[in-house]
Amino acid sequence: MAEVSVRGVTKRFGEMTALDDVSLDFVNGGFFALLGPSGSGKTTLLRVIAGFLFPDAGEVRIAGQPVERVPVEKREIGMMFQSYALFPNLSVAENVGFGLRTRKVPRAEERRRVGEALELVQLEGLGERKPKALSGGQRQRVALARAIVTNPKVLLLDEPLSALDKSLRVDMQIELKRIQREVGITTIFVTHDQEEALTLADRIGILREGRLVQAGPPREVYNAPVDAFTARFLGEANILPDILPEGARVALPSGMRAAAVRPEALRLTAEQPEDTDNILPGRLVQRVFAGSMATCVVDVAGVTWKVIDRDRDLPQLSDDAAVWLSWDTADTLPIAPG
Amino acid sequence: MAGTLSAGDGRRAARLLAPAYLWLTLAVFLPLSAMLFFSFLTAAPFGDKPVEATLSNYRAFFETSTYALLLWKSIKLGLWVTGACILIGYPCALVLAKQIRGRAREALFLLVILPFWSNSLVRIFSWAIVLRGNGVLDRALDAVWPGDVRLALMFTPAAVVIGLVHSYLPYVILTSYLALQAIDDDIVEAARSLGARRLTILWRLVLPLSLPGLLAGAVLVFVPVVGSFMEPRILGGRFGTYYGTVIEDQFVAVFNWPLGAALSFILLAVVLLILGVSSPVLRRGMQ
Amino acid sequence: MNALRIAGLIWLGLVLVFLYAPILVMAAMSFNASPFYQLPFDFSTRWYEDLASNTAIRTAATRSVLIALAVTVIATALGTSAALALFRYDFPGKRILQVLLFPPIAIPWLITGTAMLIFFFAIGVGRGTPAVLIGHVALALPYVIVVVNARLVSFDRTLEEAARALGANPWTVTRRVTLPWIAPGVVAGALFAFAVSFDQFVVSYFLAKPGDSTLPVLIYTSIRKGFTPEINAVSTLIIVGSMALMLVVARFFSFGGHR
Repeated sequence: MAEVSVRGVTKRFGEMTALDDVSLDFVNGGFFALLGPSGSGKTTLLRVIAGFLFPDAGEVRIAGQPVERVPVEKREIGMMFQSYALFPNLSVAENVGFGLRTRKVPRAEERRRVGEALELVQLEGLGERKPKALSGGQRQRVALARAIVTNPKVLLLDEPLSALDKSLRVDMQIELKRIQREVGITTIFVTHDQEEALTLADRIGILREGRLVQAGPPREVYNAPVDAFTARFLGEANILPDILPEGARVALPSGMRAAAVRPEALRLTAEQPEDTDNILPGRLVQRVFAGSMATCVVDVAGVTWKVIDRDRDLPQLSDDAAVWLSWDTADTLPIAPG
Repeated sequence: MAGTLSAGDGRRAARLLAPAYLWLTLAVFLPLSAMLFFSFLTAAPFGDKPVEATLSNYRAFFETSTYALLLWKSIKLGLWVTGACILIGYPCALVLAKQIRGRAREALFLLVILPFWSNSLVRIFSWAIVLRGNGVLDRALDAVWPGDVRLALMFTPAAVVIGLVHSYLPYVILTSYLALQAIDDDIVEAARSLGARRLTILWRLVLPLSLPGLLAGAVLVFVPVVGSFMEPRILGGRFGTYYGTVIEDQFVAVFNWPLGAALSFILLAVVLLILGVSSPVLRRGMQ
Repeated sequence: MNALRIAGLIWLGLVLVFLYAPILVMAAMSFNASPFYQLPFDFSTRWYEDLASNTAIRTAATRSVLIALAVTVIATALGTSAALALFRYDFPGKRILQVLLFPPIAIPWLITGTAMLIFFFAIGVGRGTPAVLIGHVALALPYVIVVVNARLVSFDRTLEEAARALGANPWTVTRRVTLPWIAPGVVAGALFAFAVSFDQFVVSYFLAKPGDSTLPVLIYTSIRKGFTPEINAVSTLIIVGSMALMLVVARFFSFGGHR
């Protein structure tokens, strides 16, 4: 059951095609992350779903109703902005109650629902404050309460956590996930932070240059990227070169023409490993220590590879030493060539 | 380092500030004090007449209703012109700030405030040419709507209002535009996502948020209009007697300087009252 | 594009017509042969030719320009140094000094002008060009200070501190670091000062000696006597000139038009 469904949506701005024939389903109650580099069209897609933009072609359905020509104010969506966009002249309670007031909800009910929403985001008792008198994290919670108090069919979040500093961001991720589960609202959020997307979402969609590259559960997309771009964008990936260096031995599964290997799947040894299907010779360029983990940068016939492992599991080698990389065939990620 | 200065810095600051502020003292603050002093004299202390201290100049204002009525007439003129400037200018600023984008906005904005920097006397004069009987406006109207339609606007209070609105409209547009432009587009979008219609957004968000700018523009219009004399003289004809023209007369025609000084000071008191009342809102808007 | 947006554009268009139509009519009439602005329109440059031989207007125009130039030099120098001091130093009473800039801008010129007239008579300066000059500088000063200050706000103070740490004395810091940065603000302030003086009518009207007046005062007295097409021609020249000047200012000092 798809709460929001996008079919063949195309959007152009003059010469530029921001969205090119994008089709996606967002299941009811799901938490969906739209991920992509800047200019990939992820924000445009969110704004098309919200109703700020009308698509040039294609169909958008919310709860089964075609809405691609319905303006935002009639779509019954909830939206949270990167800047939070709290109304500075209104108090916290008036901000949260704004959408109820426009829907002509009786005052008593408005008070009750605003109270509940503030309780949900743990801001009880701050209703009389002005947004200016709140901290960044509190503003964020007000924005969230305001977006969900009207019981919208879908909650849209535009880079909701990017304005917060790192430790607060992690707290808010947990909080956001908790509230989303509690309310059970279909949620679509846009981010350029792949870690955030993998942490929060139960489905992710990756966009590049206006096209949907891949969509699916985070683990699936991470473990089976369709191409080198996705492999690199979702965490790091070493792409296997077309021409292998001398001494290399690679067992590509049948039918696979291009492949990648995650840095954490690689083993690094000083001696040539015996009983492995996949080995590559290289030269250690640099070893970067990062607490419990370490990254080794290895030059494989002119191409840079990265190996990530627990620091104590990596052999102590001097820079420029000859090394061997090896991995299990099960860790070879098939990708589309190019 | 607030409030503390080394001796050297103190001398340097004083050297940089003294010329400008001495000039302002000599040319603005001392004259205003002198005028206050003058307004309590029986005659200008330049002739042979004996000079005494008196309250008669202020008594003249309060005993006869003539001056008070003229001041009220000028205040009414100020309200009319300010009201018209707001009604015409605010929507204009709204269109400029929230509807037009990019280079077109920059160009149109410049076009709107450009006349504001050209000579206001000349612009009033240009209205005299347009409005005069059998002038361009009458001819144009005649061409559109033949028959004996005569506006006969020249030398009426309406002509004075039109000229003054033309002079001061860019103030309201400028200040409203700056306030409106400072409103984040996200705020409007957030309100739309919550189901608000355009009128609701205007009434509950845009108008309150830009009110300090609008009010600043209103004050900038109202204050000089209450003290205007050139515009009523040129466009008002025999209806053109206002508080400002009476003050002008005391200095250039009747030569009753002490009375003129007293009338000027009463006007100043009204102006300061208005500035004082509006300043809390204006200061809030500055932040 | 919905009806509301179209209505908005129409409104803006009407406002522009309202603002520019009378100016264009005046400009057109200055090329009309009829001395009483009679239609039909009959193209002629005779009023501009008359203008060239009208000594009263020419001397008044020259006086206005000279006064405006002097005002520009004095007000820019005084205003820039005051703005620098207000920006650079913190001292008790600074707020008061900043607030004191507003009376010359906010008080109607009728009041300021008549007060100046009284005071200048009392101290023996009397009416005439020196009085006009003193008055204009005082009116232009706050504008220069505000405009230069607006530019200074975006100046990185640490640049001055860095220069001082490198051993530069305050004057060298000002000359080599601060002034180059605020130059656009100073130029804009200077153009404002010129415009304030050149367009100034009210204060000049009270301070100029009759028969020895500035151009706006001459225009006012001529208008009150009756319509004279030469005034029309010179007014057209003034308005074209001051708009051109302000287009130059706009290049130096963009009024929040970006984004």
